[in-house]
Amino acid sequence: MTTAPTTAGTVRRPSPERRRQRVLTVVLGVISLFTVAPLFAVVVLAVSPADAPTIPYALPDSLTLDNIVRVFTIGEFPLWLFNSFVYSTVSVIVVLLTASMAAYALARKRFPGRNALLWAIIATLMVPLQATLIPTFILVARLGGVNTLWGMILPTLANAQAVFLIRQFIRELPDDYFEAARLDGAGEWRTFVAIVLPLIRPVLATLAIFVFLWHWNDLLWPLVVGQSDQARTLTVGLATLNTETVSTANVMAATMVSFIPCLVIFAILQRQIVAGITAGGVKG
Amino acid sequence: MQPGKLVASSSAPPRADRALPGPSSGSGSAAGKTDATADSPAPYQRDRRRQRRREAISGLLFVLPTLVIFGLFKFLPIAGAAAMSLTEYRLNGDVTFLGADNYTRLATDPNFWQSLRVTIAYVLIFVPLIIVVSLAGAVLLDKLVRYAGAFRSLLFIPYLSSFVMAGIIWTWIFSTDGPVNAALAGIGAGKVPFVSGHQLLVLASLAAVSVWKGFGYSMLIFLAGLKSQPAEVHEAARIDGAGPWKAFWHVTLPLLKPVTFFVLVIETIVGFQVFDTIYVMTGGGPNRASHSLIYFLYDEGFKFFDFGYAAAIGVVLFFIVLVLSLGQQRLVERNET
Repeated sequence: MTTAPTTAGTVRRPSPERRRQRVLTVVLGVISLFTVAPLFAVVVLAVSPADAPTIPYALPDSLTLDNIVRVFTIGEFPLWLFNSFVYSTVSVIVVLLTASMAAYALARKRFPGRNALLWAIIATLMVPLQATLIPTFILVARLGGVNTLWGMILPTLANAQAVFLIRQFIRELPDDYFEAARLDGAGEWRTFVAIVLPLIRPVLATLAIFVFLWHWNDLLWPLVVGQSDQARTLTVGLATLNTETVSTANVMAATMVSFIPCLVIFAILQRQIVAGITAGGVKG
Repeated sequence: MQPGKLVASSSAPPRADRALPGPSSGSGSAAGKTDATADSPAPYQRDRRRQRRREAISGLLFVLPTLVIFGLFKFLPIAGAAAMSLTEYRLNGDVTFLGADNYTRLATDPNFWQSLRVTIAYVLIFVPLIIVVSLAGAVLLDKLVRYAGAFRSLLFIPYLSSFVMAGIIWTWIFSTDGPVNAALAGIGAGKVPFVSGHQLLVLASLAAVSVWKGFGYSMLIFLAGLKSQPAEVHEAARIDGAGPWKAFWHVTLPLLKPVTFFVLVIETIVGFQVFDTIYVMTGGGPNRASHSLIYFLYDEGFKFFDFGYAAAIGVVLFFIVLVLSLGQQRLVERNET
């Protein structure tokens, strides 16, 4: 975190630097409090009994899980949860597999049209998803994919960032690995599964988190393609709950449930998330 | 997360094919090894050619799934967006070619100009706000010696939430009987209609929600930029007698310029795509006060089913984002030279 000279300085002149650090800690503490307070309020509202005041100035006297239990009986909530889960995990798995395969070939193999394909994929990064929302919807509708999970998943499998990032990663790996595999006479698929995939695990972990979070939190595409109550994802369902006559406590309970997977992922894989963002940022 | 955010720059050019060892040099070295037989290069060449063909075939097989997926769900819709924007495309599949009519209609549609004004006003509030907040967070975290990791995590947590979730929470926080208005009542102020009042108030409230949800990302980018600044420069500034403020304005900030450009463009693009919070919190209202560009597109497409017109709005959005990205590249290049 800090450089050695600073620490040495603190030891030599303890009081001013230490006072500065104390002020800094307090300031950051207050900011963090304000940042986290809305999330804390969600939890408090979700576990408060129905007769609790609308603004929780303190923890309620008695906690209840009633709101959370009742959420699962509202509308098609369990189905929304399931849809979000499928939409997110299937996309992660297929994107990572197909993007790794393509990235390996684009980084390590010579074949006709390679550079053209790479440029075409990178160029699509310039096109915002909303710009192609209408034609993508028409296409999925023509294929009969409206209100289906496969219709929701398919267009999101074209993930240019995944291909680009994995390719960058593979390019920076030493040639020796691939040379060794070739000399061992390993087949193409075996080389990919036994050599490439284990080597690119760090970038796959980072991508898995971001692709999951992006799908889990996505609204616009699931909103237009999953219109029926049964086809909604959690975000779409939550957005409709908020406008309907559902009690604040229940909406907050549903919101809390939707956030738990994100929080668990962050708790376990924090380092990959930070590394993923800063690696992307440094390049800019 | 926002698609497009993860990749900082798509400017890395694909490496030009390394010059293949030509057949002549290949046969030359082969001949050098087995100089006795005159026809030894031929089988070697054949071998290489076969190997190269095998490599090409396996390469194509590896990209095939991605090629199919991108062809169908990226390249086709991009071409489709351009094509559809020139037609009247109705729900029942009736297509009429209109030429540029959708674009001339856009140019004279007060709702389009309203949504463009709304979006630009929103961006002008959102972008400076998120840059100041995320930069301040990063600077404080950078200076902190102990517990910096814990505070970083706490500040980053809202970024994990969805805009929908943020919208739901802040609808409650901003509501007339929510905590903010209760606090205002506590100091004797009247109720403030954050999401149903004056347009600038509504847009500022929406921007505040997005800043709360999104600043963690830019904060980490700023933090990485700060951490990579050479310690000697700051040491030199300190020895020269520059106080913390002076050092920040004259040393830290100028060194942070490329990172700031990057954050500026990313967040501007994010700002232009604002939709989720509006959908949850205001529905584009009151009275179109928060009817953003994407909301306009969504309405035209999925409320009025005027797909050709909605596609044209998408094309306009594409050009706005394109101009912003190219503008950033120009700025960065000019600063580097």
